[in-house]
Amino acid sequence: MSGTDGTRRSMILAETVNGLTPVLLAFSIFLTFRGHNAPGGGFAGGLVMAAAVILRYLASGPEAVRSLRIDPIVLIGAGLALAALVGTWPLLDGGEFLESSIWKFHPPLIGEMKLVSSSLFDIGVHVLVVGVVMAVLVAFVEADDEVARANAAREELRSNAGHDDASGDPGTTTSGGER
Amino acid sequence: MIPLLLAHLVAFLVCLAPGRRSARWALPVAAAVPAVTFGWLVSQSSSVLHGDVPSANLEWVPQLGLGISLRLDGFGLFMGLIVSGIGTLVMLYSTAYFGRRDDLGRLAGLLVGFAGAMLGIVWADGLLSLFVFWELTSITSFLLIGFEDRSATARSAAQRAFLVTGLGGLALLAGLILLGIQGGTTSLSELLANPPSGTVTSVALVLVLAGAFTKSAQFPFHFWLPGAMAAPTPVSAYLHSATMVKAGLVVVARFAPAFASVGPWRALVVSAGLASLVLGGFRAMRQQDAKLALAHGTVSQLGFMMVLLGLGTPGTTYAGVAMLLAHALFKATLFLSVGVVDHSAGTRDMRRLQGLARALPITAGIIVVASASMAAIPPTLGFVAKEKALDALLDTGLGAIGTVALVGIVAGSVLTVAYTIRIAVGLLGNDAPGVTVEDGARGGSGTGALLEAPVDPSGVHAPSLAFQGAPFVLAALSLVLGIAAEPVGHWLAEVTVSLDPATASKALHLWTGVNTPLVLSAGIITAGIASWWFTVAATRSVDAPYSTATRLYDRAYDSLLAGARQVTAVSQSGSLPLYIGVVLVSVGAALATALLAGSTDAISDVPWANSSLEVPLVALTALLALAVLGARQRFTAAVLLGGSGYMLAIVYLLQGAPDLAITQFLVETLTIVVFLLALARLPRDFHPAPSWAPRWIRIVVSVVVGLTVAGFALGTSQSRTAESVGDDYLALSEPEAGGRNVVNVILVDFRGFDTLGEITVLAVAGAGVVNLVRAARRQQRRKQLSDGLEVEERSGRPSEVWR
Repeated sequence: MSGTDGTRRSMILAETVNGLTPVLLAFSIFLTFRGHNAPGGGFAGGLVMAAAVILRYLASGPEAVRSLRIDPIVLIGAGLALAALVGTWPLLDGGEFLESSIWKFHPPLIGEMKLVSSSLFDIGVHVLVVGVVMAVLVAFVEADDEVARANAAREELRSNAGHDDASGDPGTTTSGGER
Repeated sequence: MIPLLLAHLVAFLVCLAPGRRSARWALPVAAAVPAVTFGWLVSQSSSVLHGDVPSANLEWVPQLGLGISLRLDGFGLFMGLIVSGIGTLVMLYSTAYFGRRDDLGRLAGLLVGFAGAMLGIVWADGLLSLFVFWELTSITSFLLIGFEDRSATARSAAQRAFLVTGLGGLALLAGLILLGIQGGTTSLSELLANPPSGTVTSVALVLVLAGAFTKSAQFPFHFWLPGAMAAPTPVSAYLHSATMVKAGLVVVARFAPAFASVGPWRALVVSAGLASLVLGGFRAMRQQDAKLALAHGTVSQLGFMMVLLGLGTPGTTYAGVAMLLAHALFKATLFLSVGVVDHSAGTRDMRRLQGLARALPITAGIIVVASASMAAIPPTLGFVAKEKALDALLDTGLGAIGTVALVGIVAGSVLTVAYTIRIAVGLLGNDAPGVTVEDGARGGSGTGALLEAPVDPSGVHAPSLAFQGAPFVLAALSLVLGIAAEPVGHWLAEVTVSLDPATASKALHLWTGVNTPLVLSAGIITAGIASWWFTVAATRSVDAPYSTATRLYDRAYDSLLAGARQVTAVSQSGSLPLYIGVVLVSVGAALATALLAGSTDAISDVPWANSSLEVPLVALTALLALAVLGARQRFTAAVLLGGSGYMLAIVYLLQGAPDLAITQFLVETLTIVVFLLALARLPRDFHPAPSWAPRWIRIVVSVVVGLTVAGFALGTSQSRTAESVGDDYLALSEPEAGGRNVVNVILVDFRGFDTLGEITVLAVAGAGVVNLVRAARRQQRRKQLSDGLEVEERSGRPSEVWR
């Protein structure tokens, strides 16, 4: 299997990563939400999700990143905006900047559910970290494309020249033969 | 007062709202705001002049005395009437001047915004408010000078004016802050009531004067004002003659009674003022564009008023305030009339204007009256004010400096009379001196251009009455207020009391009997006429709109840019080893200083290890790090560095910091992956060390910085003086933030602000990467476009040659 940049890729790795991706995504979200009470958190969660994206890139090449159709700058902006919004929200209520609010629900069957506003802050961090790593990745993809384009152009030049030589020589001989 | 300023702000926004769409309503709407202000000021005048001073405060940072604080005293009332009255007239005049244009919304908005800022300056009581409004007038002036934004001249004139007045504004800010500290107050009125003194105060006053000189176009900062004539004529009339350039005088007028005797104040004011007076007068004689001649005349007269108001004696202050009024009236009239002439005859070049007295009789009458006031010919207000000025200068009681001021002002006034006659005759004269066919040809414009000059009265279309209304009202005031000198003088005395209580007894008189000032005036007028008469031939052929000061400024500006480029070239060499070296050495030096300044004996009780497992782990970490140094290939180095990081993560785990360990593991992993992605595109081996940084220097820097950082870490952890906050965090984590993982709660709640800062840095870095990629892509596309053609040519041409 070969990527657009002409390097060989392992099908086994690609299939493994395909299977692994949902697990990694679920784990990253789990890490982020778990962080409030146990080791984890938005930064770690974001890094795991970013690692999943990078893995897909390594397994399937630039297509893996391009097919996501997400502009990293949007992720970066959204993450930062969410975190800042969570911070300023309490001010409207006369609270302090970044003051936590704790909401408790009692949905049926599950029992008590607790939601803390700082979890939203962590989600912002998570999204932002994914965005930043993706931005770096996109930089590499662009570099790959550039190399590929340059190679293609060189290839075209060479084949054009070769084609000219190939078609030119018989041309002259043919005309000579006709004469 | 604050609602009025807000009304200006709202009008500013409303007028700018239509953008590039036509907005014929904008100017009348904008004019309504200063008109209302004028009405309000008139209604307040009797109570203000009887000592009932309204004030308003809008607090911002009360602890620092910052906020908008306004105070309407007599002088504020006086200047407010000038600013709003002339503002209303200029905006009404503009509706006729501009006719149909698409950008009138912008013009109207900027004009009304400027009017609001100017009112802020004359009403300001807080030192900070004064500065803020001061800068607002600089900004609106910048935008108005550059109003014709497609003209390169207008743009560079706007930039020049902005840089000069903006730098002056910074000097003013520094001066005001120093004065505020010295006087222990941020209120202007309190400061002036108890003026501080001493060296610092003198320095502060020099800075304040620097600001005032730039704003009021005083030598050597005068050159931006003639350039500002690139603005449309109504703007020049309003900002650059009648109001904004008075801002410096306003400050000087307020400060002088309290501070004139401190330090170099009087010497500076008199030298700069007289230099501007004489220089501006000379340069006004050398212009052919009537508007430029008026602009240089403005520099000259601002110098005159600077001397009067800056001397700070009761007599000169009173005369200076009278001159402020007279000058605002006649100078605005003259500018607006030049606008009318320009509109009707199609030129402001005095070599081409002839016979306008008959073609535009009303405008001609207006110009004559205003010129009479400018040249101080009775019975105008200009004459009355100048009589008072001469009278006051004869009796300053200041010794030599008073005499110098008197002599300088008499000399300058002779020039004033000369250039006034020159402008009036140049605009209206039936056989204007200098307008001959030969001169026109020599000037390079050719006889054809000259013959277009509207000598034929029927060729000049008469302006509408609305167009002439504003200059007519202003000229009439110049005359009427001159004749009614006694009541006007009484009113001015009441106004000026707020500057200096000793002016209460001052008065204006149209006829004082034959005395020294009258004789001086007669001499000045005679000498002025004579100098005009004898220079008529000489001034015919000169046209020197650009001054040496402008050229010097431009050269200084260019060399500043060149210097900046050089500094950038030196400091941003693009060498990664150099950048890292500078960062490391700076950090090391800062930490070493802190360490040496503190108690170094803190590093005594070093805890070597907490568990036996740590010893091999740390040894392995160090070993891997050292192995990096031996690596020849980039790949090997990256992997070894990652290994060292993993070991460190295990140490964290042993110390009971699972969160830190998780993060360290993940960051280390991603770093290695990203490293490898990058290394795939770099040469396999490291570059040899550059010659300026051989290996031994790098080793020394690394070892010293490393040891310093380690020592600092040990030293700080050993020298704790305050209680640890850790216990509080542990106790508060669950009840306050609803989380049991205290590390995470610290990150997102207790120290959430830090985290927000950190992720902002991360976001900026990410955005930087994205933009670098996009810039590269753009460049690539551009290159492809040009290359594509080349490739086609290269691949096309040989085959064509072959076939």
